[in-house]
Formats: sequence, C-alpha cells, structure tokens
Amino acid sequence: MDQWISFDWEALGANFWSATVDGLTFGGIYALVALGYTLVYGVLNLINFAHSEVFIVGAYAVVFTLTSLGFGPSVPNLAWYAIAANLLLALVFGMLASAVTAFIVERVAYKPLRAKGAPRLVFLISAIGMSFVIQYLIFWWRGPNPEPAVIMFQNKPVFDIGGTLIYFDSILIVSAAIIMMVVVDQFIRRSKLGRGIRAVAQDPDTATLMGVNRERIIVSTFILGGLLAGVAALFYVMKVPSGVLYLGGFLLGVKAFTAAVLGGIGNVRGALLGGLLLGLIGNYGQILLGSAQWNDVVCFVVLIAVLMVRPEGILGSNLGKVRA
Amino acid sequence: MALLEINNISVHYGRIQALHDISISVEEGEIVTLIGANGAGKTTTMRSLAGLLNLSSGSVTFEGEDISKLPGHKRVVRGISLTPEGRGIFPAMTVRENLEMGTYALKERSTVDESYDRVFELFPRLKEREAQSGGTLSGGEQQMLAIGRALMGRPKVLLLDEPSMGLAPQFIKQIFSIISQVNAQGMTVLLVEQNANQALSRADRAYVLETGRITRSGTGPELLADPAVKEAYLGVA
Repeated sequence: MDQWISFDWEALGANFWSATVDGLTFGGIYALVALGYTLVYGVLNLINFAHSEVFIVGAYAVVFTLTSLGFGPSVPNLAWYAIAANLLLALVFGMLASAVTAFIVERVAYKPLRAKGAPRLVFLISAIGMSFVIQYLIFWWRGPNPEPAVIMFQNKPVFDIGGTLIYFDSILIVSAAIIMMVVVDQFIRRSKLGRGIRAVAQDPDTATLMGVNRERIIVSTFILGGLLAGVAALFYVMKVPSGVLYLGGFLLGVKAFTAAVLGGIGNVRGALLGGLLLGLIGNYGQILLGSAQWNDVVCFVVLIAVLMVRPEGILGSNLGKVRA
Repeated sequence: MALLEINNISVHYGRIQALHDISISVEEGEIVTLIGANGAGKTTTMRSLAGLLNLSSGSVTFEGEDISKLPGHKRVVRGISLTPEGRGIFPAMTVRENLEMGTYALKERSTVDESYDRVFELFPRLKEREAQSGGTLSGGEQQMLAIGRALMGRPKVLLLDEPSMGLAPQFIKQIFSIISQVNAQGMTVLLVEQNANQALSRADRAYVLETGRITRSGTGPELLADPAVKEAYLGVA
C-alpha cells in the first residue's frame, strides 16, 4: 500500500544547496512584502490585508513598463547596461504604482473609519473588502489569465558552492532584500520620520504631545510599505515571469504576512528573518515531501508550531523594540 | 490678557458629560493648580487643553488666539506642553531618545544642546541613565524624564498632570521643588494634583474641580485656609 506521506531525505541531501539558495531568494521577496505588513501593524495595530494587492499592482506596473520597452517572452537582445537601465525604470514605476495604491487604500478604507473612531474589527473587514475590490477591478480589466511572460535577462551562474551553481538573480534578490532591510532599519532608528513612526507605535497620544502629526506618520508608513512592495514586485516578476494575474498577490501576501508574524509582527528585523526562514522552510519541505504543493503546508505548520511556543514571534513584536 | 484662557468649556465622552462649563485662566509666570478628587475631570481638562479631546462647547485661547480647533500636534508648536498622567514615557526608547522626542516639533535647533545641559543640570539622574531604555526607569525617574522631555521643547506653558502620582516621598519632594525652580526661571505652570497640600502651598492661584464643575477658586493660601477645602482635600477635620 502506498504511504500517503513519505520523507525523501536523499533528495533533500542531493538538492540541499540549490534548495537553500532558492529558498533564500523567495524569502527575500517575502521579506520585502512582510515589511509593509509589519510597518502598518506597528503604527496602527492593524493588518492591512489589502497589502497583497498593493504588491500585485506594482507587479502589473513592472510588466507593463517592461512590455512597452520591448521586453517579452524571450531573452532581450540588449547590452547589460541597457537592460539595467530598463529594469531601473520598471522598478521606479513598480514602486510608484504600489505606493499610490497603498496611499489610496489608506485614504479610502482606513482614514474615514479612524476619523469616526470605528472599532478594530471594522478596520479588519474594511481591509479584506479593499483587497477584494482591487482584485476584482484587476480581473475586470485584465481577465482571468496571467499577463504574458516577461523575461528580463539571460540568467547566468556566477559561482558554485559544492557543485551547486548560484545564479545571478538569486544574488541580486537576496542582497537587495538585505540592503533594503538595513536601510529601513536605520531609517526608522535615525531619521525624524522614523522617530515619529516609533513614537506613534509605542504611544500614539504621547507622540501627539511631542508634536508628531499622527495622520502624516500613518500615511507615510503606508507609502513606505508600498515602495518596498514595489521593489518586491520587480523581483517577483524576475523569478516568476508569468505569475502576474489578479489573484497573484493573494498567496504571496499570505506568505509575507506569515513571515512577518513568524519573525515578530511590528519588528523590522523580524520581517527579514521571518521571510528568509519561511522561504527556506517551504523549499526544504517541498523537496523532502516530494511535491511543490507541500510548500505552503509546511510553511503554515511551522508557523503554527512556532506561535505555540512563542506567540509574539521569533524576535518579538512591536516596532518600538526594533533596537533590542 | 491671560496667557492661557479656558472659557466655559464642556467635554463629553459619548453621551456622558465630563466637564460642565469650566473657565480657568493662567497668567504668564504663574503656577496655577487644579485640585479635585478622582474622576472630577482634572485629566479631561488637561487633555482637552493639549488637543487630545474635542470640546463640545466653549473655547480655549492661547496668547489671545482661539486654539479650540487646533490639532494637538500643532498646539505643541505654539508652546503648550502636557506631561500626561502616567508620564507617557516611550518604553523602548532610551532616556536620550525620549528627550530628543521633546524637540521633535522645534524648528529652531540651535538651542537643543543647551536644553540637554539644562535638563541634565535639573535632573542629574537622567544623565546617569542616558543610554538606558525608558521602560526600565523607576517611577520617579520616569517622571523626571517626562518633565525634562517637556522642557526640551522650550514650551511657554507647562501642563503637569499628577506628577506626584505613585511616587516615593523623597521623589515627591524633589518633583515639587523642581516645579518651583522651573517656575522661578520664568516657566508658566498649570498643575493638576491630588496631593493638594503640596500643590496649594506652591500655587499662585488654584481651582477646585468637583464632578466636572469648578466649585471654588482663589489664591493658594486662601484655599489652603478654606475650611471646606481643608476637610475635603487636606485630610484635616
């Protein structure tokens, strides 16, 4: 009789390094999106469920920009600097599109409720509603199928570790995610806006007494999360060239949200740690269990297990404690 | 013209009226104190002055200008600084960062270093604890930090909500003596206190608040000598 579940340790051993690199690459993308959840949670104690759509709108902007620049399903025949310039342009449009979406979501779904002093649960419903509205606006406009694939460059191996080739895109994505995380962390610790964000996260009333404009901090936080989602969007299209469809944000969003909770929601470093870990866990799990469908199962089982032991996440919650 | 004038304000929490038609004035350079029992509306008054609560009626004028509709973060810029009940220390920021938050609204940055020196001179303890996080300080130290932080913003009027609450006796003494000292250097102070004896003996003028209404007012010594005040707030039969 077939076992319904079996562990293929040999496959994991044989593919360990490639699974690690691939896991870290997706983990980097999760981490960038996770930051958006974490920042907003920090200042509002609210999970912005529409953040997955903030992300996918950025991915559409990346695809549209690249398509209009002549990119398509085959490797572009351009010098590396021309490709870099084009990708940079796509990055800018992706970040802008996500940031504008995040801003609109805040204005439409949250600000009016805040002004009326609505209870917490109402924000949650409004967030879910906003998520559906954007998804189906995209559906209405683009239909049920993914956008045609966009290949950005000929992905080449750069070096190898123990026989595993490490490709350029992985190096780019992982290092960019780490750099962005350091920049955000420093920004929150040192800049004036960052101090305002931490103050509102720790004690909103006292922040007002210090002259912090809470409304402005909230909007800035949404925009910051949107900009980072736009960066993630470029990398997502790089890794999953035909993954841009109306539902494309949903699963990635859930994964990123999971990463944020795993690392400690409200904690910037937790978002990075949670993202990378989740990427690794999912990839190891899927190889061990023999099919990609296991990836999500393993991720969520690990999440539940971690939260049973440490409900506040690995690094603990709260933006305020970011320095710890 | 008084520096800060509260004209017939009323404040509601939902349908419950917390303040009934209250009027208070604070002249430049004074210490004015507001005494009253728990739930009399002292904190409500202070939070409305700081712009954290909306008025249902009446007005607040500061330096002759109506600020009733001004949001809280802009009142700080005008020079109104509230040290809230419970102190409002940012627990995960260091002492230094908490003080820095006090300068958040300041446009003129050239005097910030001088302000640190001044605050550390008033509260040498804060200098010793500079790199420690706010959440690890004792209650007395947190109160020093809260007052120091307010002074960092160089306010024109300092609103202190129950600065002695929950403190050990030696800290209470120190906090009151600092208040007098700061006032002697020209700072206008509006002080809310349950510790009526200490507050009245340092106040130029005082108001008694009972269930959301002002029931008595006068100079500090007048109220200290008032038999009704003595009985209700000073623990003297």
